[in-house]
Amino acid sequence: MSGLSPRQWTGLALLAALAIALPFAFEPRGYGIRILCLALLFAAMAQAWNIVAGLANQISLGHAAFFGIGAYTSTLLLIHFGITPWLGMFAAAILGGAAALLISLPTMRLRGHYFALATLAFGEVMRVIGNSWGGLTGGPVGISVPFAQPSLALMQFRETRSSYWLMLAALVVVTLVFVAIKRSRLGYRLRAIKENADAAEVIGVDTTRTKIIAAVISGALTAALGTLYAQFQFFFDPDTVFGVASVSVRMAMIAIVGGIGTAAGPILGALFVIPLEEFANQVFSAQAAGLSQLVFGLLLILVILIEPRGFMAIGPRLQRLLRKGDRR
Amino acid sequence: MTAALLEVSGVGKRFGGLQALSDVSLSVAAGEIVGLIGPNGAGKTTLFSTLVGLHRPESGSIWLGGRDLVGLKPHRIAAAGMVKTFQNVALFLDSSVLDNVLTGGLMRHSIPAARDLARRCLERVGIDSIADKLARDLSFPERARVEVARALCTEPRILLLDEAMAALNHAEMDAFMALLRQLREEGLTLVVVEHHMRAIMALCDRLVVLNFGQMIATGTPEQIARDPAVVEAYLGRSAA
Ligand SMILES: Nc1ncnc2c1ncn2[C@@H]1O[C@H](COP(=O)(O)OP(=O)(O)OP(=O)(O)O)[C@@H](O)[C@H]1O
Ligand SMILES: [Mg+2]
Repeated sequence: MSGLSPRQWTGLALLAALAIALPFAFEPRGYGIRILCLALLFAAMAQAWNIVAGLANQISLGHAAFFGIGAYTSTLLLIHFGITPWLGMFAAAILGGAAALLISLPTMRLRGHYFALATLAFGEVMRVIGNSWGGLTGGPVGISVPFAQPSLALMQFRETRSSYWLMLAALVVVTLVFVAIKRSRLGYRLRAIKENADAAEVIGVDTTRTKIIAAVISGALTAALGTLYAQFQFFFDPDTVFGVASVSVRMAMIAIVGGIGTAAGPILGALFVIPLEEFANQVFSAQAAGLSQLVFGLLLILVILIEPRGFMAIGPRLQRLLRKGDRR
Repeated sequence: MTAALLEVSGVGKRFGGLQALSDVSLSVAAGEIVGLIGPNGAGKTTLFSTLVGLHRPESGSIWLGGRDLVGLKPHRIAAAGMVKTFQNVALFLDSSVLDNVLTGGLMRHSIPAARDLARRCLERVGIDSIADKLARDLSFPERARVEVARALCTEPRILLLDEAMAALNHAEMDAFMALLRQLREEGLTLVVVEHHMRAIMALCDRLVVLNFGQMIATGTPEQIARDPAVVEAYLGRSAA
């Protein structure tokens, strides 16, 4: 029920060793390792999204709001007060959680498409605010993280490898949070809400409170990841960090492609989607504007059509097919 | 009558143009088994849903053990000790039977304690052998019993059963009635909606009859069986 078998522990240990050693197979300042960093970051983001969407089936399309809040919070604290991004990340999480609480109050009663649309609108409002409140955010031209001597204290690194390990650690933390929630009373309650909200209420689940707690955790984690993004890219603008396509939909897409509601889903999804996107960009961007996005979109649609429950469902499905084959 | 555990007075509930409940008043004493009967569409399920807070009545009051429940959310009413089962069965289909029942126990217990309690509830209802099955894979009678086990796992003071025996055969029904009597011995109060008159007559201390959202009679099973208005509205048809 809770513990893993010795074989699973061995597998997990090997996987961890592989993940830690992986950067050494890449050129230290190359492009490949940067893609890998982004894949890990987006895996963590999709995992944070998974807490609300995967467990309670509240499909948010506004998580960019929290991500952007996180990126701006730590960056502004660093610029104006010289506060280290490590502390900035905590401030980001607190603000992200507060924003999630605020948006939860009016949207928690909404289900399905209505919830998705309301959260989408919230993300867009944040993007507009980010663009128009130039005095604070620097407006559409974007903002730069002040460059310092590479140091762990300021979360700036000489080698991309170090960023990779930071992203890896973030992914592990968010995944552990997801697994812990899934197994807790909160997780049981979220599943009950997902499967039958009225029945859940009648047997004593405070559905509103449960959804808000999950949303706040999810929003806080997403904002903290926004800080990591800012420290990794050094430059960003409102359209990127508050973007529907660049953040909100991508988070959802990654979790869905990999397997929504599962711990491994967002990880598999990100390792597939992010490199694929880069590949489509490189191969097709020379041909015609927009062609790479079209190809990328078509590939994703294909994956969803083949297995709507994502990669995580393909394994069991193959096993079933093989067993059928054996019987013949 | 002794002090009522549940005191419903003047409750009205309207769906658009349909007056589903009008001026319904009834009181249930602690330890009683009350049968709620009436033809299809009489408002029995609506009354249950209103009592547990899924619907908010336009008028009237609902008191449980000296506390007004109108306007409270269902989870607060569950915490106060009143829970219903769903006539059309509302299980968590992608969860195991044990997890379904366990979720009922989480209101008052940690996961391990709720799991122990859930196993006991499954045993009592006689379905501990299917604890690990997925709710989705169950037959309808099995599902109905999981509903009952899940409701019991919330440790209610008063349990509202909406046709929980609908799909049971005679032997199962007798066993189920024995369970309800046993639960009553242990202090549970029950309100039971059921169309099987044999079961209702044998089980209940008192019957309440609804017709077109109105209470048309209340009394002992013998009194109700002889009541001309009830025979006209309900019994006449099912007995014929
Ligand atoms: N949510 C709702 N919205 C609109 N009308 C409803 C709703 N629920 C019930 N009704 C209507 O209210 C009336 C009472 O329905 P209810 O389900 O309470 O009857 P019932 O006595 O439980 O019947 P049955 O014996 O068939 O279960 C019916 O006319 C029904 O169509
Ligand atoms: Mg009914």
